[in-house]
Amino acid sequence: MRAILKNGIGLFSPQGFLDGNNSSSFLSIEDVDATVELNTDMILVSLKKVIFFNKNGLDVFIKLFSKIKKKKNIIVGFCDYDSKKFTAISKFYSSEMNFSLFRTYDIALLFSNSFKNKNKNVLLYSDDKSQRTAMAIELHDFGHNPVVCQTYEEFHEKSSNSSAYDNIIYDTFIGQMGQKIATRVAGNTIIYSVSSFLDADIGNTFNIAYHNNSLNVGFRLFIFDAYKVISMNIHALNFFSKLSTSAAEYNATICFVGLDFTKIPLSFKDTMEDSGILFYKQMDDILQNKELLKELGASSAANIKNKRVIDKAIVTKLPDFIEATVATIEMMTNSKAKKEAVEVNKIEIKEKSDRIASSIGFYGDIDGMVVLVFPTKIAKKACELLIGESTDDLELILDTLAELVNIVGGKIKSLLGDHDVRVNITLPRTYQSIDSLMEVIENKKGVQVDLAFDDDKFLFFLTK
Amino acid sequence: MITNKMIDSFIEKIPPKPDALHATIKFLNDGNLTKAAKVAEEDLALKSYLIHLVNKPIYGFKTEVSDIGQIFGILSLSGSQQTVYNYMLSLLCPKKWELFNLNEISFNELQANLSSHWKKILDFLNIKDKEIESAITLLPASIIVSEALFSTKKEDVELLRSVNALDYNTILTRLCGTSLFDICNMIATKWDMSQQIQQIVYASSGLNPSDNEQINTLAKWMHLLLFYELSQPLFIKAGLNDFIDFQLEYVQDIYEDFTKVMEL
Repeated sequence: MRAILKNGIGLFSPQGFLDGNNSSSFLSIEDVDATVELNTDMILVSLKKVIFFNKNGLDVFIKLFSKIKKKKNIIVGFCDYDSKKFTAISKFYSSEMNFSLFRTYDIALLFSNSFKNKNKNVLLYSDDKSQRTAMAIELHDFGHNPVVCQTYEEFHEKSSNSSAYDNIIYDTFIGQMGQKIATRVAGNTIIYSVSSFLDADIGNTFNIAYHNNSLNVGFRLFIFDAYKVISMNIHALNFFSKLSTSAAEYNATICFVGLDFTKIPLSFKDTMEDSGILFYKQMDDILQNKELLKELGASSAANIKNKRVIDKAIVTKLPDFIEATVATIEMMTNSKAKKEAVEVNKIEIKEKSDRIASSIGFYGDIDGMVVLVFPTKIAKKACELLIGESTDDLELILDTLAELVNIVGGKIKSLLGDHDVRVNITLPRTYQSIDSLMEVIENKKGVQVDLAFDDDKFLFFLTK
Repeated sequence: MITNKMIDSFIEKIPPKPDALHATIKFLNDGNLTKAAKVAEEDLALKSYLIHLVNKPIYGFKTEVSDIGQIFGILSLSGSQQTVYNYMLSLLCPKKWELFNLNEISFNELQANLSSHWKKILDFLNIKDKEIESAITLLPASIIVSEALFSTKKEDVELLRSVNALDYNTILTRLCGTSLFDICNMIATKWDMSQQIQQIVYASSGLNPSDNEQINTLAKWMHLLLFYELSQPLFIKAGLNDFIDFQLEYVQDIYEDFTKVMEL
C-alpha cells in the first residue's frame, strides 16, 4: 500500500478489516521505507475506514513502527479513530505504548514540524497527568497555544464552546517523539530544528544529502532553530564549523537562533563565528526583516555569486519536462494543451494579473528548477479534481497547487528515470503573485514554453 | 485523463448476450431448469465454465460431473442463475489485468466468495428471491470497469493518489460526472438484468442510499461484504482494498449482525 505524503506526514489508510492474517498485506517494511525516504517526519496509519481490528492485526504495524523508530527516529502511530477504538488500543498496549495516537489527522498535524508556529489555540485534555504535561510542552514548542484542562469536568465545560479553539485534543497519546532533525521551508530559507544535547550523533541525524541538494538548487540561507538546545560538545562544534565552511563555497549563510550559551563554552561561539555562523535571539529577527533576509541571501536567487546557467544536459531533457507538465495539467483539467512558443531567455510574463505560480526543484544526475505560471482560472480548474468542488479560497488553491506541482515533479522523476536519469525532487513552492515569483527568478535564464489550454495561456519555465 | 467519450466507447464494446446465453437465462427466469440446461449445452464456453466450477473441491464430488442438467440441479435455480451471470461478467474480464494484480483464477475466486457469503447473508435475512440472490454477481463489474478505464493511466493515477486519497470512483465522478456504479448499471441494462439488481448494486456504493428500505438494507450488507472480501490478503495484494471508498458510517448499524453471520 502506498502512503499519501502531506505536510511531512506519511499516511497509510487501510480499509475494512484488520487482523493478523491480512495486516502484513496492507503494509510492508518496503512501503514504510519508501515513505520515510521522502523526508517524512511522521508515519501514521489511519483507522478512519477500519471497521474491525484486533491486537494481532495491530501488532504487525507496531513491529514495523518500532523498526522505523529505531532506524529513523521519527514519530509513528495511529490516527483517525473514535473513543471506542482509542480505548481498545490503550487496553491492548497499556504499559508498552511507545507509539503515538492522534484522534484526528489535524491533531497529528499540530505535532508536525511542517506545521510549526501556526499559533493555533488548542484545548487539551488527557486523564493521564504526565500526558497532559508532555502534550502541552510539545504543543508549545511547536508554536501553538495549549489550554490544558486538569479535570474532565473542566474539559467538558470548556469544549462546549468549541468555536473558541482551533483544535480540541482528547483521546490522544504521545509516545516517544521523533528525534530526527526536522526540516521546513520558509520562503527561500531552510530551517532545521535541533534540540537537547548535541554530540557526534548530529552526523547521523542531520540529512547532509538534503542540505547539499538545497544548496545545489539555490537555497542560500539556512537557520538552525536551537531554542531547545541545552548544550553541545566538541564533535557537534566541528560538525557545524565544517558545515558553515562548505556552505561558504556556495555563498550561503548559516545562522543559529535562540542558542543559549549558559552551558556551552563561550570559546565555541568564537569558533563558530570564525567559520561564518551568525547568531540571533529570535526567529523573527531574521524572517521579519526583509533587508536582513536580502543581505543574508534569502530574498533572491540573484545573490548567488556564481550564477548557474541552464546547460545542454537539461535542455536535451526538455521534452520529458514538458510532457510531464502537460500530461499532468491535461489529466487534472481534462482539456488539451497546445504548445505556442519556445524561447531560451530570462522569463517574460506579459500578463501578470490573475496569475499564480509554483516551482519545484530537482537534483541528482541533473539539477534545476521548474516554474509553472497559471492563470488563476486554470489553477482552480486543475485543483477541482483534488478538492472535489470549485473554490475561490486562494489559500486552499495554493495548497492544492503545491500538491499538483508535486505530481508534476513525480512524473518528471519517473520520465527521466525511464531515460536512466536519476533525480530527486524538492518540496514545491507556491507564489500568490507574479511579483513574489519574480523576486526569486527575475535574472535567471532558462527555457520558456508558452502553452495554451483551450483559450488560456499557461507558462512553463525551466531553469537552474 | 478519462473522458465521457472513453466511457461511451467502453459501453459500446460490451458484447450483447450470445443467443444461447440469452435463452438459458430466459428459461432460468421461467424456472425451467431442463430447458435451460439443454440450451446451455450449446454454448461450449459456458458449458466448460459450469463443469470447471462444479468440480471444484468445495462441491466435494469424487467423480467428474459433466452433465449440464445435473449441474443446474446441483446449483438449484437461483444458484444456476447466479452462475450464469458470473459467467457473463467474466466475459468482460481482460485477458491480462494491468491495473489490478488479478488473473482469471483470483477474479473467479472473488466472484465465488461474494456469491457464497451473499447466500449466507440472505439466509440470515430470510430472503428467498432469485433476483436478489443474483444481484451480487453485478458488483464485481465495478472492478472490471475500473480496470478497463484506468489501466492505461496507471502511472497518472498512482501519482494523483500519492498526494490525495482519491479512489477510482471519485476520480471518475469528478472527471466525467459518471460513477463506476452508473457504468455497472449501463452494463446491466445492456444485458437485461432486472431493475432490482441495478438498484441494489447502485446503492451499494454507499454514496447513494436508496429510498426503498429493503433495497437500502441489502445495499448496506453488500457494501460491507465487499470490503470484507477486499480485506482478504489476496485482494489487498491485488490492489483492490482502496479501489472505492469504504463508507463505514453507512454500514455501522448492520455491523454487529454481519460479525455474527460471518462468525468473526
